[in-house]
Amino acid sequence: MIQLKKIYKYYNTGSKKAYVLSDVSLDIAEGEFVSIMGPSGSGKSTLLHILGLLEEANEGEYLFLGENVSKLTEKKRTELHRNQIGFVFQAYHLIDELTVYENIETPLLYKGLNSSERKSRVAELLDKFNIVGRKDLFPSQLSGGQQQLVGIARAIAGNPKVIFADEPTGNLHSDQATEIMELFKKLNEQEKVTIVQVTHSEHNATYGNRVIRLKDGLIQR
Amino acid sequence: MLRNYFKTAWRNIFKHRFYSIVNVVGLFAGITFTLLIGAYVWGELQVNKKLNHAGRQYFLQSEWKGEDIHYSITTLSPIAKRLKEDYPSLVANYYRWDGITSGVTKGDKSFREGIQLGDSTMLSMYGFELLAGNPSTALKEPYTAVITEATAIKYFGQKEALGQTISIQSFSGGKSDFTITGVLKDQPKNSVINLNGNNNNTIFIPTNTYAFFGRTSLEDWSNNSIPSYIELKEGATIAGVEKAIHQLIQTNAPDGIKANLTIRPIALTEYYLQKDNGLVKRMLYTLSLIALFILLMAVVNFINISISNAGSRMREIGVRKVLGGLRIQFIMQFLTESFVLVLVATLFALAAYPLASPVFSGIVGKSIPALSSLPLYFVLVPLVMVLLIALLAGVYPAFVLSANNTVNSLKGKLKTVKENIVLRKSLVGFQFAIALVVLIAAVIVSQQVSLFFSKSLGYNKEFVVASQVPRDWSPAGVKKMQTIRNEFAAMPQVSAVTLSYEIPNGNNGNEPQVYKSGGDSTKTIGMQALVTDENYLSTYQIPLQSGEFFDSRMQDSGKVVINEKAVAALGYKTPAAAIGQQLRIPGDPTIFTVKGVTSNFHFFSMQDAMSPIVFFNVYTAVVHRYLSFKLKPGNTTASIEAIQKKWSQLMPGSSFEYQFMDDTLKNLYANEIQLKKAAFTATVLSLIIVLLGVLGLISLSVHKRVKEISIRKVLGASVPHITLLFIKEFAAIVVLAACVAVPIAWYLMSGWLNNYAYRINLTAQPFLLPIIALGLMTLLLIVLQTLKAALANPMKNLKSE
Repeated sequence: MIQLKKIYKYYNTGSKKAYVLSDVSLDIAEGEFVSIMGPSGSGKSTLLHILGLLEEANEGEYLFLGENVSKLTEKKRTELHRNQIGFVFQAYHLIDELTVYENIETPLLYKGLNSSERKSRVAELLDKFNIVGRKDLFPSQLSGGQQQLVGIARAIAGNPKVIFADEPTGNLHSDQATEIMELFKKLNEQEKVTIVQVTHSEHNATYGNRVIRLKDGLIQR
Repeated sequence: MLRNYFKTAWRNIFKHRFYSIVNVVGLFAGITFTLLIGAYVWGELQVNKKLNHAGRQYFLQSEWKGEDIHYSITTLSPIAKRLKEDYPSLVANYYRWDGITSGVTKGDKSFREGIQLGDSTMLSMYGFELLAGNPSTALKEPYTAVITEATAIKYFGQKEALGQTISIQSFSGGKSDFTITGVLKDQPKNSVINLNGNNNNTIFIPTNTYAFFGRTSLEDWSNNSIPSYIELKEGATIAGVEKAIHQLIQTNAPDGIKANLTIRPIALTEYYLQKDNGLVKRMLYTLSLIALFILLMAVVNFINISISNAGSRMREIGVRKVLGGLRIQFIMQFLTESFVLVLVATLFALAAYPLASPVFSGIVGKSIPALSSLPLYFVLVPLVMVLLIALLAGVYPAFVLSANNTVNSLKGKLKTVKENIVLRKSLVGFQFAIALVVLIAAVIVSQQVSLFFSKSLGYNKEFVVASQVPRDWSPAGVKKMQTIRNEFAAMPQVSAVTLSYEIPNGNNGNEPQVYKSGGDSTKTIGMQALVTDENYLSTYQIPLQSGEFFDSRMQDSGKVVINEKAVAALGYKTPAAAIGQQLRIPGDPTIFTVKGVTSNFHFFSMQDAMSPIVFFNVYTAVVHRYLSFKLKPGNTTASIEAIQKKWSQLMPGSSFEYQFMDDTLKNLYANEIQLKKAAFTATVLSLIIVLLGVLGLISLSVHKRVKEISIRKVLGASVPHITLLFIKEFAAIVVLAACVAVPIAWYLMSGWLNNYAYRINLTAQPFLLPIIALGLMTLLLIVLQTLKAALANPMKNLKSE
C-alpha cells in the first residue's frame, strides 16, 4: 500500500545540508499496524509528515496505493486527504470554535457529502465512540481523553484507508492512553484500517504488529 | 458548506469580541460617513435634473470684458424672449425673472419674502405642479400671485389658499392686495426657484406688475439685471443659439454693452455644479475624497487586526487542510468572516443613518436625502459596498493565512511574519498620515475662518444688528425713515443707528465707474458704491482718515466719501490730498466732491482684495434697505425685545427680521464654515478610527508578548522599561507619518489659502500641534494598555505556558 524508496529529507543550514531522513525505504501493507519509534530528533515526525503528504521529501520515490505521490498538485493531495488518509495528533487539534458534532462533520463537508449522509455518518460515529451525550459540547469542555476520542472519530469519519497518528497518547494519562490504544487496535482488526503511529512508548508499540526504529534519520535494522 | 462558514465566522467574531467590536465600530463610522456623503453627493447631482426636458434647459450666463464688475447671473432682459420669437427653430421657450424682496402681510402676519417677478411660462416650461390653480393661466393677470406650499401654510395655516389675498408693499410706500391664483407644490431643489443662496423665492408674480414695484420693463434693452433661461428646441445646437444671441446683441444692445458682453447658454444640469467657479463640484470632490480615505482607514484597521490575530487561526487552518480543505475554501471562509463583520457594520450604519443625517445636514448646511427618498436601485449600493469592503478587507488576510505551509500552520507558526510587520506598520503609518493631514487641515481652516471674524475686518461687528425696513424710495420716504431712526437712536439700549442701502455682507447695489473731473473719461476706476446716512461710520466704528463724513442736515448733495483704496486708485498721495477733489461718473452730469476719506474695511469676502469704495448720501440717493443698530453691551435679548416693540409701534405691518452682524458674516462665509465643520467631522472620525486601530494592535501585541514581558520582569525590567518596548514600536511610525503628512498638508492648505486675498501665514504651529496631540493620544493608549501587563505577576503568565 505504501512504498518509500530511498527517501531523503534535509534542511539547508548555511553551507551544509542537515539530513533529517537518509535513505529511508520501507513498505507498509494494507491492514498493518505499524509503530515508528526512536529518540527525539530522530526524524519520526518528519517521516510521518512525509507519509501523510504534509511534507515532501527532497529525494526518493513515494508510492501510495501504487501511485507515485512524490510530487502532487494541491488538488490531488487534498483529494487523498479527503478520501484515503486520516490524521490523529498528539495535541488533538480539534477546531475550538466547533462543537464535537461539527468537528466530526467537517471532513465530510469537505468530502462533499450531502446533509443526510453527513448526519447518519456522524450519528454512527458518535454512537460507536459513545459520545452522543457530548455532541454539542465544545472541545474546551472535554477532558484530554475525550478530545482524542473525538479526534479519532473525526479521522475515520471519511472512511480512510490509513490513519497516521503522531504520538496520539502523548498528552494523556495511562488509563486514557490504554483506552485510545485499544480503540486503534479495534479499528485495525475489525475495520481493517491501516494504522501508522509515532510513539515513544514501548508499551504502546506492542499494540501494533510491526515496529520501525529510527535513529538520526536512518532506519535501524 | 456556506452555513458552516457562517457558523464558524460568527463564532470566531464572537470569540474575539474585543477585536470584532474595534473592527465593527471603525467600519461603522466609515460606512455611515460614506453613506451620508454618498446620499448628499447624489442629492446635489440631482439638482435641476427633475425639470421638464432637463437636458434642453439652459441658463444664460453673462461674460463681461474688462475690469468692470458685473453680475454674471443677470443679463439683458429682452434677449430670452426675443430668442424664442425670432429663432423659433432654435428656442422652444424662455423664462425670465426680476428678483425683489418686499414685505408681505396677511392679517397679523407680516414677513419679508423673496419674490420673482417672472414670465408666465415658468409653470409649463419646467413642469412645476400646482396643488391648486390652473398652470396655464395662473401667472397671467396683474396683481395675482403663485405662492409655495410652505408660504401658504405660513400665512394661511393651510395649503388651501386659492382665491385668497395677501398684501405686498411696493418700494414707494404703497401697498396692494394680490390674489392667489396658484399654490406651488414643493419642488426638488433647482436653479429656477433658487438660483443661488441669496435667492430664496417663495412668491411668483407676473411681470406685468413691474410698474407697481418701480422696476424697469423687461422689454428694455438697457435693463441688464434679469436672470434668464431658455429651453432649446430638440436638435438645436448651442453654436446656433450663441450665434443668434450675438446677432441680437449687435442689433439691439446699447453701445457700451455691445462690445463688452458675451452671453453663454449653460446647461442647467451642469449649471448648479459649475457656478461660482465650480464651488459645489469642488465641495463634492473634497467630501467624497474624505469619505473614501476614512473608509480606507477603517479597512486598514480590519486588515491589520486580522493579520495580527492570524496566529490564533493558523492551527485551525492547518487542521482543516489535513482534513481535506482546499485553499480556495479557506479563502472563502475568511471572506465570509469579513463579509459578516462588514454586514453587521453596514446594518448598524443604515440604522444610524436617519439619526446621523440631521447632524450631518447641519454640517454641510444642506438637507440630506432620506434613505426612503433615494431611488430603488440604491438598495444595491450598501450591498455592493458590503461585498467590496469585505473583499478589500478580507482578501489579504485570507491569502496570507491560507498560503502557509500545513506543518507550520499546525505548529501555529506564521512563516511570513517579518513581511507582515513591515506591511502592517506601513498601513498604520498610512492611517497616521491621513489623520495628521486631516487634523492639520482642520486647524488651518479654523484659523483662517477665525480671521474672517477677527478685528482685522476694519469695522466693529460686535453688538450690531440689522433689519430690512419697508421701502419708500422717495425724499419723503427717507425723511420719514430718518425720524424713525432718530426715535430708535434715543432708546437707552441703543448707542447708534444708521440707515443705509448696504450692510457689509458683500452684497451692494451699484458699481459706478469713477474718474477725476477734468481727467480722461475713458480711464475710469470701478468702485463699489455704498448708500448710507451720516451715522454709518459711528455705528460700524469705521475710522475716518481725513475730512468729514456726511452731516445730518441733508446738505451733502454732490458730496461723496471714499476709502483709502479709492484714494490710492485715483492717484492721490495721502487721504488729506483727496479732500475737496472732484470726481465724475460717465453719463452723469453731477460733479462729486470728496468730503472725507475712511479707512479700508472688508465689505466683501476676504477671498477678494479690498476694493475702492465710494459712499453716497442716502438723502440724495433715496434708496435704502437696512437699519443697523449698535447695541450697548448688556442684556442683548432685552434690547432686541425693546427694539422689536418700538419697531411694531413705529412701522406697523412690517416685521423686525433682524440678524446680528456675526450671523451675516456666517452667511458670507458659509462655504468656509461648512468646510471647517466638515474638516472637524473628518478629524473626529479619522482620530476614532486610527486610535481604534492602535488600540487593537497594541492589545494584540501585548497579548502575544505576555511571556516576553514576564521574562523581562523576572530579569529585572521595570514598568517604564516594558512600556517603552511598545512605545518604540509606534514612535517611529508617528515620526515617519508626520514626515509624509506635513508636506502634503502644507501643499494642500497653502493652495487653499491662496484662494484668499487675506490669509493667515502658515507657521509651524498648526503642523506641530496636531503631531504632538496625536502622539500624546497614542502614547496614552499604549501606556494604559501595557500597564496592566507590566504590573501583572510574572509567574502567572509563565506558568500558563
